[in-house]
Amino acid sequence: MLPRLNIKGRKIWMLSALLIVAIVFSFCHIKITKVTIPATAQVGDVVPIQLDLDVSCNSDGSDKLIVGVLMPKGWKGTQNMTATYTSSKGNGSFAMTPLTTLAPHGDGKNWPDYMRATFGIAGNLIDDMEWVVMQSDVPFTYANNDKITGSINLNLKVGADDNPTIVKLAYVVANTTNGFTSDNFVDGGYGATAEYYNEYIGDCFSVTGGGGDLVDFCNPQLTTVSPPKSLDNDLVTLTFDSNVIQTDLSGNDELYLCATGTTNDGQTIAICEQTTRTQMKPLGGGRFAITIWPRSFFGVSDSQTVTNMTYFITDKTGTKQVGYGNTAAPFTYKFKCG
Amino acid sequence: MNRYILIIAVWLFSSCRVEEIAPVAEAPKNVTGSWKVIKATRNGTDITSAFDFTQFRLKFDSADNYTLVNRLPFLVNKNGKYKLDDPAYPFKLTMMPDGGSAVSTSFNYPTIAGIRQLSLTFIPGCELNSYIYTLEREN
Repeated sequence: MLPRLNIKGRKIWMLSALLIVAIVFSFCHIKITKVTIPATAQVGDVVPIQLDLDVSCNSDGSDKLIVGVLMPKGWKGTQNMTATYTSSKGNGSFAMTPLTTLAPHGDGKNWPDYMRATFGIAGNLIDDMEWVVMQSDVPFTYANNDKITGSINLNLKVGADDNPTIVKLAYVVANTTNGFTSDNFVDGGYGATAEYYNEYIGDCFSVTGGGGDLVDFCNPQLTTVSPPKSLDNDLVTLTFDSNVIQTDLSGNDELYLCATGTTNDGQTIAICEQTTRTQMKPLGGGRFAITIWPRSFFGVSDSQTVTNMTYFITDKTGTKQVGYGNTAAPFTYKFKCG
Repeated sequence: MNRYILIIAVWLFSSCRVEEIAPVAEAPKNVTGSWKVIKATRNGTDITSAFDFTQFRLKFDSADNYTLVNRLPFLVNKNGKYKLDDPAYPFKLTMMPDGGSAVSTSFNYPTIAGIRQLSLTFIPGCELNSYIYTLEREN
């Protein structure tokens, strides 16, 4: 009886070892070799984006392909992006990765959160972005020493929030086994430590048209608004960065907000005084901020809402003022959520 | 010998008695009083020092009324009635503003350094913007 058990056990161990080897060493290094995207687009356009991929496999295995795209939240990418692929291993399509699917090596995070934690917002300056993640419809099977080439063809409808936008789109490819890990083998061109994933950050991409305010994720701005999307019943922080360019206010250590609000019934309310009500707090390093509750700041009635505001930053005399792009035009902001 | 063992065993068993401990009732949570903001966050960022929260007061009385003093963006913007879903083990605070519809939020009522705090989460504007006020009772 015992010898038979031993033989059985040995087989099980061998099978288990083979399985473990297959799981641990099933991987492919991957890289995005080229991204093709139009130079600009209009709000509402469906933009074709092509990612060309090279994949180099060091074992047998089978994985689904993951692709993530970093874009403004306002574009509602989960509703407005589709993707297909063509490759030397076959063609197919991508589907949104369920938010309940946990990423391998992701410490319990789903794919969008894992990408956010690993790659952040890829050098963009306004934190109102999200990673939209898709996975291939079927796993692709590969063999040791396979060299696979292929393309992912994304169709992204841009500007669902109706805002003209300048943004650095970023792309990540990976597989459903290895997450964002790498090994110590040298595999020419696949990252410093031969990575099982790859990130590609695009140049600043402009979307023009639309009825909203320009949202520039790419270039430092004289003023920023936080949260980026808010209503008049939010607490809204306006920050002025005097380091962006030389202005009439450079060197001033006492700055004020001069704002005009417009209500839903067409009333305009100007609050342009140099008092504690409008004084901006120095944050250090030439940056100043003021947080306002627009409903209270503009003193609207219960039946009114503030729909938008224009504003300047002034010195304590009110005579020197800085507007949008350091011009005589005011900064503008619309109170809306989309 | 066996007889002695039996006697000792009977004696040991007879020395046990059932002691009935009356369960201590959980005290009802009493939120009456005037509460002030000691910390405020917006989307997880501390904005306590960025805005003047010092004048705001949230007052609960024993007749289930609440009053807002020096209003701020909050769960409600009018005075009204309030109730806890369970007086002893509340998980939810509901505020019913006069002439408006009821609004509920999680009831977080921790004791920090021996002092009760009330932590209320709400969304007064865009849905993406979540605020938490941590309040402490005024003396």
